[in-house]
Amino acid sequence: MKQKKEDNGEAIAKSMFEMAKLKVPVIAIVIGEGSSGGALAIGVANKVIMLENAIYSILSPEGYSSILWKDSSRYKEAAEKMKLTAKDLYDLKVIDKIIKEPKGNEEESFKKTSRNLKTEIKSIISEMKNKNSDKIVEERYNKFRIMG
Amino acid sequence: MIVDKIKKRELPEKNKKTKIDIPVGKWAKCDKCKEIIYKEILRENLNICPNCGHYFRMHINRRLKLVVDEGTYKKFDLNIETNNPLDIEDYPKKLKTLREKTGLEEAVACGTAKIKGEKVVICIMDSGFLMGSMGLVVGEKITYAIEQAIEQRLPLIIFSVSGGARMQEGIISLMQMAKTTAALTKLDEAGLLYISVLTDPTYGGVTASFASLGDIILAEPGAMIGFAGQRVIEQTIGESLPEGFQTAEFLLEHGFIDKIVERKELKDTLYNLIQFHKGGES
Repeated sequence: MKQKKEDNGEAIAKSMFEMAKLKVPVIAIVIGEGSSGGALAIGVANKVIMLENAIYSILSPEGYSSILWKDSSRYKEAAEKMKLTAKDLYDLKVIDKIIKEPKGNEEESFKKTSRNLKTEIKSIISEMKNKNSDKIVEERYNKFRIMG
Repeated sequence: MIVDKIKKRELPEKNKKTKIDIPVGKWAKCDKCKEIIYKEILRENLNICPNCGHYFRMHINRRLKLVVDEGTYKKFDLNIETNNPLDIEDYPKKLKTLREKTGLEEAVACGTAKIKGEKVVICIMDSGFLMGSMGLVVGEKITYAIEQAIEQRLPLIIFSVSGGARMQEGIISLMQMAKTTAALTKLDEAGLLYISVLTDPTYGGVTASFASLGDIILAEPGAMIGFAGQRVIEQTIGESLPEGFQTAEFLLEHGFIDKIVERKELKDTLYNLIQFHKGGES
């Protein structure tokens, strides 16, 4: 790919456009740091779920403070303001479900979190598997239509 | 130095007499050639620098005057306000001040209008309102306009100028990209024409959503169009960018836009495109 010659704006737009039309259920899971158009390009889903400690935002806190306050060193303040935690986003109705990440040693925590995630994915699939494709597209459309 | 330039400038007869009385606010400086231009001359020249041809930005009202038939614009009656989702303290006040200062409700105006007799749904953005950024209100207005185009079976024309998603509304601004894009899938299914016109500058979340999704994408000469700013890209990839990167001309060459149209040709071009696509309508 000629990365230097091509900006990725159009790719993000096209990706969202195609995703909005998919006739099968789509689940997007935020597992780490999701931000800006790149995250949204794969985030036009019927259900958007998020790990308890993941973040999802318009931009990185550094970029955000740089644009809004012309000072990237104020990233901590930006992170507080941006409502980028799973809890904040659930309250804003941007995401549908928070997946608990139980504390413990790393391996144990990972296993438990994975199990929680698996349970949720299975539950969404069983909820959606009897819906016809029109209904699936319509529900996804309505989800984003009322956003904000 | 500035005074020298002003003295050298040849003014039309009617302005000559009053030259020395002209207050500072009546002059504008061209960003490109740095020439000092009398605003009235700039205005008469469709906000294009008479010296170097650089395109200045345009207020919504001027843009409407340029492309739609006089007296045909009817704005959609849609009174919505942002709920300030991030509770940014000075944001509502800032919006209020801007409304008073610019005479604009928000960074976009949407409604129906006629272009040489052809009825269309038209949306025009304005960089004078928080850099044309897209928050909840802009997203909702554009989406509503798309839905109206579908309902009334009209072609849709959107003039973009934007710094991108509006930071003050955080993730809610980001979601407007998905909302407007999803609405465009319905316009597409309905088989209706959407012409996206990119003007200087079009960036960020607007480029990465509706602005890039026109059936036909036009741009004004020299318009800067991109997702991330050049400085950010250079810092990220650690390389310098090629000459002309992100200009309308560069994007035309690489197939991202279909045609560069001069301001004075815009109305005719839009009319011709609408006419050309009318064939299938019964």
